[in-house]
Amino acid sequence: MNYSSEVLQRFGLPQADGAFPDETEGVVRGEAEDRSLGIWIRFDVQLRDGLIRAVRFQLFGCPHAIAAASLICERLEGKPARALAGIDLQAVAGSLDLPVEKYGKLLRIEDALLACRQALGRSQDTSEARKSCDEDETKDS
Amino acid sequence: MSARPLYLDNAATTAVDPEVIAAMTACLGTDGSFENPSSAHPGGARARQLVEDARERIAALVNAQPGEIVFTSGATESNNLAILGSFDADPRSRKHFVTTRIEHHSVVDTAHALEARGVEVTRLDCDAKGVVTTGQVLDAITDATALVSVMHVNNEIGVIQDIEAIAQACASRDVRLHVDAAQSAGKIPLDLGGWGVDLCSLTAHKAHGPKGIGALYVAGGVTLAPQLHGGEQERGLRAGTLATHQIVGMGKTFELARPERDGPRLAKLRDRLWRGLGEIEGIRLNGCRERCAPHILNVCFAGIEGESLRLALADIAVSAGSACASDDPEPSHVLSSLGLSDALAQSSLRLSVGRFTEPADVDRAVERIGAEVARLRALADGAPAWCST
Repeated sequence: MNYSSEVLQRFGLPQADGAFPDETEGVVRGEAEDRSLGIWIRFDVQLRDGLIRAVRFQLFGCPHAIAAASLICERLEGKPARALAGIDLQAVAGSLDLPVEKYGKLLRIEDALLACRQALGRSQDTSEARKSCDEDETKDS
Repeated sequence: MSARPLYLDNAATTAVDPEVIAAMTACLGTDGSFENPSSAHPGGARARQLVEDARERIAALVNAQPGEIVFTSGATESNNLAILGSFDADPRSRKHFVTTRIEHHSVVDTAHALEARGVEVTRLDCDAKGVVTTGQVLDAITDATALVSVMHVNNEIGVIQDIEAIAQACASRDVRLHVDAAQSAGKIPLDLGGWGVDLCSLTAHKAHGPKGIGALYVAGGVTLAPQLHGGEQERGLRAGTLATHQIVGMGKTFELARPERDGPRLAKLRDRLWRGLGEIEGIRLNGCRERCAPHILNVCFAGIEGESLRLALADIAVSAGSACASDDPEPSHVLSSLGLSDALAQSSLRLSVGRFTEPADVDRAVERIGAEVARLRALADGAPAWCST
């Protein structure tokens, strides 16, 4: 297997690997896996004021997947939350010079980001519901 | 000053011993015995004598007669000659071949070639430790069996099969036995004459000799059909000009080999390796501790992805499975035969020590492997159970 210099560098010294401690404020978590492809990935995304402040990843998989996750974390920081659903996989593949047989793993990485987006949506719904409950309670009293 | 590269892949091939290099070099050039050993002139006779001296040295190491050694290009050719040559020469035209599921590809693929010619092939399973029993061999033999082929030491997991007992079993049923001893010659005593083996493949490059030279032991009275045509060299069994320098190199290799001395030294290094690696959580030995060749250790790591492990350890020369299959994404057929999951088979490493391996090399390897396994495990912290089973 041949690896581009970018993959070698990011595999040897990945950026943003790890996870935020439990209960860290503003963090949503999403994961995806595919046993047949040999990949499991989890992202922790920390948001503040609608912007992605920091991203961490944990991953079981090949060097290309590790490099891709590391690069995606870097590219997401500072972006609005909607970027979680709009990562440009072609650009990631191009930057890392990924072989075509690894594209399936990129899709699973995308799935984990989408899971973060959904988790964010759920937490916002909960916040809105809590906010409206609080407002109702205030009215009742 | 950078440390010397870590080479723990001696089951794939070995560095040539300086004494072997000197012996080979002396055959080359105008001052050497470069002449054709088949030539009638004095130079040819000198070269011929060197070839016969080498033949004697090789025979001496494996308890054979010099006339029972046929030079080939290596163990792969020897395996092909032994198997195909046996079926082509079988006077009863029998069409059944018995072998195991954990042979080297040069036997596995030759068995496929036989099947394409209408030969029925029985492939014996091994147990979870890689052992094939004599009873299995006996049960598989039928009236149509022309040949049994079982490797002595497995090239991936190092398990030693009981060739003496299997040879007796084959003899009791009047069936010929071929043994691939590419991994064992020079490290484990071979008593081919005493054991009653009919055919045995040998090679030089696994024992600190040159690549491109091997031999087939053909016991007295065993007939074979040649697979190369174009000359009467090697009693008509292997056509082609004899490569004097290669043969001299193999002779010197086998002269230098002392299984009684080298085996225990290699085993000490292997055991040091296992003691160090055994401290790593989730490590598992592939094969059989009690029946393992002194130079091979095969381990797997739960929760570690194989490709990442191999790249992380790219500075150490080790093999995933066998060297011949290291670039193949499919799990090794040997490790699968042991019952390992694809994930564990992919996370397996074969480490093999040799004459030039030092204890400090082993310690460095243990440190590097431990560090990379810890790094990759931390990266995959929280992964589901299937990543570890």
